[in-house]
Order: sequence, then C-alpha cells, then structure tokens
Amino acid sequence: MLKSPNSASKSTYWVMIGGVVLVHTVLAFRFFQLQILDFDIYNRRAESNRIRAMSIPAPRGLILDRHGEIIVDNFPTYILYGIGAEIINEKHNYNVISQSTGIDTTILKKNYQNYYRNRFVPTRLAKDLTINQLSRLEEEKNELSGIIYKQFPERAYNQKIHASHVLGYLKEIDRQSIEKLGKDNQFEYGDLIGWSGIEKNYESSLRGKKGVTYYQVDAFGREVGKIGGQENILPNPGKNITTTLDVSLQQLLETELRGRRGVGIVSRPETGGILAYVSAPHYNPDLFTGLISNSDWQSVIADTNRPLLDRAANGLYPPGSIFKMVVAIALLEKKLINPQVEIFCSGSYEFYDRTFGCWNQNGHGKINLEQAIVQSCDVYFYQVIQKIKLDELAEVAKQFGFGLETYIDLPSELKGIMPTRQFMNRLYGRWGWAQGALLNMAIGQGEILVTPLQMARYINMLATKGKTRTLHIVQNKNHNIPEPDISIGSWNLIQDYMSKVVTAPKGTGRRSNPKIPGLKIWGKTGTAENPHGEPHAWYIAYGEKDGEMISVVILLENGGHGGEVATPLARNVFKHYFNSNKMKLAKK
Amino acid sequence: MFRDYRKKILESPISVLLPVSGLIILGLATLFSITSTQGQAPPNALSKQIIFIIPAVIIMFMILLTPRRIIHKYIYIIYGCIIIAVTVPFFGEKIAGAYRWINIGLPFGLQPSEIAKWVIVIALARYLSDHNLKMKNFDAIVVPILFVLFPTMIVFSQPDLGTAFVMIIPVFTMLFWVGSRPIHLFLIIAPLFSIFTAFDVLVFSIWAGIMAVVIFLARLKLWHALGLYFSNLFLGLIFPLMWGSLRSYQQNRIITLFNPELDPLGAGYQIIQSKTALGSGGFLGKGWGQGTQTHLKFLPVQESDFIVSVIGEEFGFLTLLIMLVLFSWLIIKIIRLALNATDRFSSLVLVGISTIFLTHVFVNCAMTAGMIPVKGLPLPFVSYGGSFLLSCFMMVGFVLNFGREK
Repeated sequence: MLKSPNSASKSTYWVMIGGVVLVHTVLAFRFFQLQILDFDIYNRRAESNRIRAMSIPAPRGLILDRHGEIIVDNFPTYILYGIGAEIINEKHNYNVISQSTGIDTTILKKNYQNYYRNRFVPTRLAKDLTINQLSRLEEEKNELSGIIYKQFPERAYNQKIHASHVLGYLKEIDRQSIEKLGKDNQFEYGDLIGWSGIEKNYESSLRGKKGVTYYQVDAFGREVGKIGGQENILPNPGKNITTTLDVSLQQLLETELRGRRGVGIVSRPETGGILAYVSAPHYNPDLFTGLISNSDWQSVIADTNRPLLDRAANGLYPPGSIFKMVVAIALLEKKLINPQVEIFCSGSYEFYDRTFGCWNQNGHGKINLEQAIVQSCDVYFYQVIQKIKLDELAEVAKQFGFGLETYIDLPSELKGIMPTRQFMNRLYGRWGWAQGALLNMAIGQGEILVTPLQMARYINMLATKGKTRTLHIVQNKNHNIPEPDISIGSWNLIQDYMSKVVTAPKGTGRRSNPKIPGLKIWGKTGTAENPHGEPHAWYIAYGEKDGEMISVVILLENGGHGGEVATPLARNVFKHYFNSNKMKLAKK
Repeated sequence: MFRDYRKKILESPISVLLPVSGLIILGLATLFSITSTQGQAPPNALSKQIIFIIPAVIIMFMILLTPRRIIHKYIYIIYGCIIIAVTVPFFGEKIAGAYRWINIGLPFGLQPSEIAKWVIVIALARYLSDHNLKMKNFDAIVVPILFVLFPTMIVFSQPDLGTAFVMIIPVFTMLFWVGSRPIHLFLIIAPLFSIFTAFDVLVFSIWAGIMAVVIFLARLKLWHALGLYFSNLFLGLIFPLMWGSLRSYQQNRIITLFNPELDPLGAGYQIIQSKTALGSGGFLGKGWGQGTQTHLKFLPVQESDFIVSVIGEEFGFLTLLIMLVLFSWLIIKIIRLALNATDRFSSLVLVGISTIFLTHVFVNCAMTAGMIPVKGLPLPFVSYGGSFLLSCFMMVGFVLNFGREK
C-alpha cells in the first residue's frame, strides 16, 4: 500500500513552485494595473460617471377573443423614478415635481418609502404620467437631481365587456412572492404579475422577457451617452393569447346579469370551449394595479355582494332539480324503474314522520318519468329514489363530474360535494342520518353542492351523450373527460325528455325558446332551496341549429323559480347567438 | 488513545492553519461589510458562514485523525460512490439552470461535485502510487486521464464548467510530479487550444508558432512531429466550418455552456462593474462598508464569486496583495510538504490538493479582474458558501494528515 517511495525530484519541485509564484505574480500585476496604474480612470468612472443599467419592460401579450378582437390591450404610460444616491436636495426635488405634474408631495414621499430597496436602485415615485406632465418636467430637468422616467406598457381593457373573473387581474409583486419566484425570473419590486384568471394561468406566455439599456450618467443623473461595446438588450414582448370567448356574447350575458348576483356560462359542448363566462357582480381590474388604497380595498371587501368571488368556479350551490337527470339515468341504467309507470302526486309525500313537499303544492296528479322531468315533479322522485342505494347514485353522479374538478384552465376552482355513504357516516355518524337524506338528494337538495362550471360540463355531457371535451378558455390542459358508461337508450330517453321541457305546454323551460325556425332546444330548470332566503334559480340548456350547438348555464342567486327568471336569459343568449350566426353565414 | 490523537495533532504541520485563518478573517470582514451596509438581518451570509465554520473545523480534525491506510484502502469505493452522487442530481430538480444540488431533506442543498474534487485527487494518487508505471511512455498517462475525464464530463454536462475545470487540472500536475514528460501533457491539451484559438486569425497564428517551437524542442521523431503538428492545424481550420454549419440556437446553447452567466444584466456588464469596483479601490481602498460600486447591488453573487471586487474596492490593493501572499504561502507550504513526504501516495495527495487551491484562486481572481470569461468559481476560505467551505476544510484536514512526519 503506502510503500512506494516518494520519487519527486528537486527540479520538479522548483518547477511547481515557479508555477505557483508565476500565477500569483500575474494576478498581483493585474490588480496593480487596475488599482494603481488605471486608478484614475476607474475612480473617475466610479465617482462622476455611473453606469446605469435600466430594465426595459416587455409588453405583456394581448388577450384576444375567438374572432381576434382585442379584449386586453396595452397602452403606454410613464413612470417616474428617483435614485437615492444621486438625489442632492430631496425636498426641492419633490417640490419641483409637484409643481410641474400636480402630484402631491406626500404621495411622492410615500411611494419613495414603499418602493425603496437601496440608495443605488431607481425607486418609483409616481406612475401613469401623461406626456404633458412629462414635458413640463423635462423643462425643469436642471432643477432636479437623480430623477429619471421610463415608459411602461399598462393593461387596457376592452370597453364593451368586463369578464373580470376570467381575465383576472395584475398585481404588484410583493416581497414574499419575489423570493418564492427566485431571481431567475427577473422580477423587480413593483413589477406587475398575473394574480388571478387567465393573467395568472398563462403568466409565463403573457409575460415577455425584459430588455436592458445601458448608459452613462453624470453626477446630476443626466444621461451623457452610451457605453462603448455594450449593446442594449431589447425586450421580448409576451405572446398573444387567443381565447375561446366571444366578445358580443359575453357583452350580452353581462348586460343580462347586470345588477344581479349570479352566473352565466355559454360553451360549445363538442369542444368544451367557453364562449361567455360571467360572474356577477364584477370588479374593476384596474383596482389592483398600483398601490390599492386602504379605503378602496375595504369597500371591496365589505361589499356584501362579494364582487371578488368568481361564482362560476368558486361558488357552491345546491343543484336543485337539474340533478334529476342523474337520478333518472341511474334508475334507468340499473333497470329499477319502468319509465311508463305512473305515480300519483298529491303535492306532498309522507315518509315515516316527515312530510316532503312538491314545488307544486296542488300536485301533478298521475305522472310518469317523462312528465316528472318535464314538469319537474318532486314527489315522483321521492318515491323512485328509494329503489337505489346512495353509493350507486353517487357512482353515476361522479360519471357526470359531480364532486370532481373540471380542470378548466383557471387558477382555482372548487370540487363541490357529491355525498357517498362514507361521507354521510363521517359527517353525521353511522346512525346519525337516515333514508330521508336520500329523498332530499333526489331533487338535488341536501348535502349535494356544485359549482356552475361543473354544471356547464354536465349539460355538455348530456348534449353530446358523454363525448364532450374538458372546459377551457384558451386551451385544454391535457385532460380528457372519461366517457360515462351509459346505454344509448338512456341517453336518447333523457334528451327526449329535456326537449319536451322546452316544447311541451306544461314544460318548465318553455320560456327559453326564442322560436327561431330550425333551432331545437333541450333544457332543465332548477329551483334550489337554500338557507339564505329566496331559492337560487337554475337553468341549464343546449340548443342546436344546422349542426351548430351551444350550451347555456344560468344561475341567479336567490332569484326565485328557475322556470320563471332564469329561462328568459337563456332565450336571449340563444336568440343572439343563432341570429348573429345566421348573419355571419349569410355574409360568407 | 487520546495521547495518540494529541501526538498526531502535534506532529501535523499545524502552521498551515495560519494562512487559512487569515483568509477566513478576511472573508468574514468582507461579508460583514456586505450584510451590514445592505441592512440584511440574520440569518444572512455572514451568520450562516460563521455557523458553517464550526462543523467544518470538526470534520477537518476528524480527517486529520483518520489513519492514512484507511483512506488509502477505501478511496476507490468512495470514488465509485461519488461518481454515482454527481450523477444523481440529474434526476433531481433544476436549481438556477443546473443540476448540481442533491436535496436529501436538509435545510441546505448538498453539492457532491465539491467533494468529488478531492476524492478524484486521492483516488488518482492511489492509482499512481500502487502501480509501477513507466511514466516516460505516453500510454502510461492514458488511464489516469480517463480516470478523471469520466467524472469531469458528468460535471461538465450539469453544466458546471468551473468545477469541471478544477477537477481536470490536478491530473496534469500530479502526472508531472511522478515524472511524465511535459511534452505528453502538452499534446493532450493542444487540440483544445487549436479549437479555441481558431476563431481569430492572429491568435491562431501565434498558437501555430508556439506549437511549432514546442514540438521542435521536444525532439520527437520527424514523422510524429509533422503528423501531430498538421493534425492540430487541420483541427483548427476545420472547426470554424463545423461551427458555421450549426444552427444559431445550437451555437447559443454551446456559448451559454461556456458562459453560464448570460443573464439579463449581461456578463459583460458584470465585468465592467467588477473592474470599476476593483480599480476605484486604489492602494488602500475606500474603507470598510464604504464601497459605492459594490453596494450598487448590480454585481450579482458579490458575497461568493465576486467577493474579490468587494475586497479590492473597500480594502484596496494592499489587502489583495496580502491575500495573494497568504494563498501562495499556503500553496507553497503544501507543495513543500509533498516534496518531503516519505511515500508517493501522500506526496501525490498533497500536490493534487495544492493544485485545486491554486486553480480556484487563479480562476476566481482572473474572472473578477476581467482576464477570463465569467466562470462561477468561489475563492477558497473567503467566499460565502457552505458546501464549498466544508470541502476546503476537508482538504486542509488531508493536508494536515498527509503532511505529518512519521
């Protein structure tokens, strides 16, 4: 092992020592050259000339609708910065800026404190400066020290629509998020970052790459020229994003829902593409750019209508009678009912010591499955539901996406609840609940909770007999909806019933029919009882004409009866879409 | 047993710790200036560095007390393990654009390539001392080169060009130490030079001249000499053509490999800032915490890779000179221990470690002074960084152990 002797010669040793000395001498000489010989050059550069590197913001990508109409645009504004190390008389500076721009000195001071990082980095004083303010400031340039400005592309929104919950908003990045995102992502304090909606989900595409400009400035912060050999790096604008939204349809639906609390979703069942997505009331995305004032924030938070809540993805509601198709399909598939057999509805149903009412207190009389769906009879379903077990019902509901995410390309959504035996046992204890709970679920009440987005997927599945695609606003997140295991007979039967909901004289959905020749509509109303007052009004429907199909989901919080208040909104959507579509086809 | 330990410590060349302590103090003083001027509250670079010194010193003494034959016996196994370890980060997550760190649930990342530097040196020392090689022959150096080339290529593709460079250089000094002919070592490096100088006609002409003189002086056989010379020239001429045939994104990929710091603020900008900071320091510097340029914060990694420009600006040329004297003291001391060592294994370990230190010092200082392109390599004992500090103290442990007189 360690027995071979050291054979190194004296001359090898001296060559090595020579090498070490040589390396250190070269380094020492280089330091000597920089620090002693060229001291004057570098000292002057350090003292009187500062090299400044300023990032050039990259314009964010535009957001377009399906026809290429711009929904979110950029417009140039100017931002004013102060550099602490170069400011000579802070007070004088603020006064001059205030006089020529009209911005209050307290605001300037407050901004300077908020954005301050250290005395060498440009700190933001004011934003949204107009070219007029800027030119007046430019005249006073000699009075100022350490003040610079740069152009900044800011978000501008299409005037026709809000779509605030889909588009999302930008927010100034805070310190915690910067640390989380790391320095690689080249974020600076005060940068805007997509904080919700598409702006957040597609942040990496929308955000471009910043550029850098290098220049020398003199002791007064005035630009004196470029640095030789140092090329500017141009910014790389973000990618434009084409959504599936349709501006005119979105506009219509927003108008319909104005002044109400509710949701409207229009999508194409075959593709899952969303044409309109409204959660009312909306909020103003401009609210979040820049420093939001405390009072503004408080008023938004305190608003009992909760405008910030995206009701379509994050609102949970009982589905009410629109759940009845699931119950019917589950019973048909298990061959537990004969759709022709009639059941008598007296307006209420006695179950042990409890009375379950039908919405129609006068009763529907003798009624079969078709009429039970068309007239939305509750008593019929109270009786037939007793033939099926809760877990069997939940299994079918799950195939329609109840209790599961839709995987829409938005940053947050809720899953809702589809109770199972296990769920109920956990919630109430093994003996804490009884068959009566199932009766409630038969009409979509009780523990079942859904989001309107889930209902959009549900109606799309009914429209395509299970062959729909995942809902999306820009593109599908590589997710596929598994096709439910349901016989073609059941699909046809249910579609037939849903068609009669709209066409039959007693159908609850007849108000949704705009009566356009060639347009056929299928639908189902719902009236969801809830502890917050009036019932929520639901209507889910789809219409087809000349091979073109769209689906509509309408939810009005505490709106009343679905058949009365929700259906007219759907009618206007169908009318608008299939009329304007006809015009478009005619133009071609 | 404890008397045995005491004896071992007293017999070791403990004076090596003098320059090391000097450098540590210099590093901490600089980190103090950076963290306090920029108002960073602990835990910051300074506090973390101080905390890391404690385990580093303990591990140094543990290595000092490990019997040499144990190190000799197990080094091949460790070498095998470390090759696996440098490969593992490829399966992990990418940090800062490179696969260098292993995450094993510790609050900090481990960087196996730091340890790999000296493991390769010791393993190679065993290979070169166990076998009675005829070092005058060219074939004797092929196996040692492959020995090192394999882990180096893995690290190179992580990509960590700096560490790969530190790994490959000790092979040459160690081969030279055991008597390889310098011309053989030259011939191994020559093709690389031929490729890199090929981009500039003037530089390439100078290189062709130097090559001609060296090959002539080596007195090779005429056919060998001509063959080597012209194959190198051919390589240099063909390479720009091959380069031109690459697509621009492929070229960019290769350029970023050699210049990984191509960030939005630009590597050229870093060099300008670094040189301005150094140059404006002058003879005595601007004073502790007074460096206007370094605190611009435009200089990234100033607490690790660019710490020399902070020292140069605040403490001046004199301190940099003292720093270089401390480094040369340390390195020359290690080489002298290598000359006086009785067995070849110990002597080679010492030479290898001295080369690692020398390479780090040269690459780091030359980069800061704008002599070579930016290669993220820290400065031993001075720069901030836990893994690296630990590795440096481990190497000092080996120096104390193998420099011990029997």
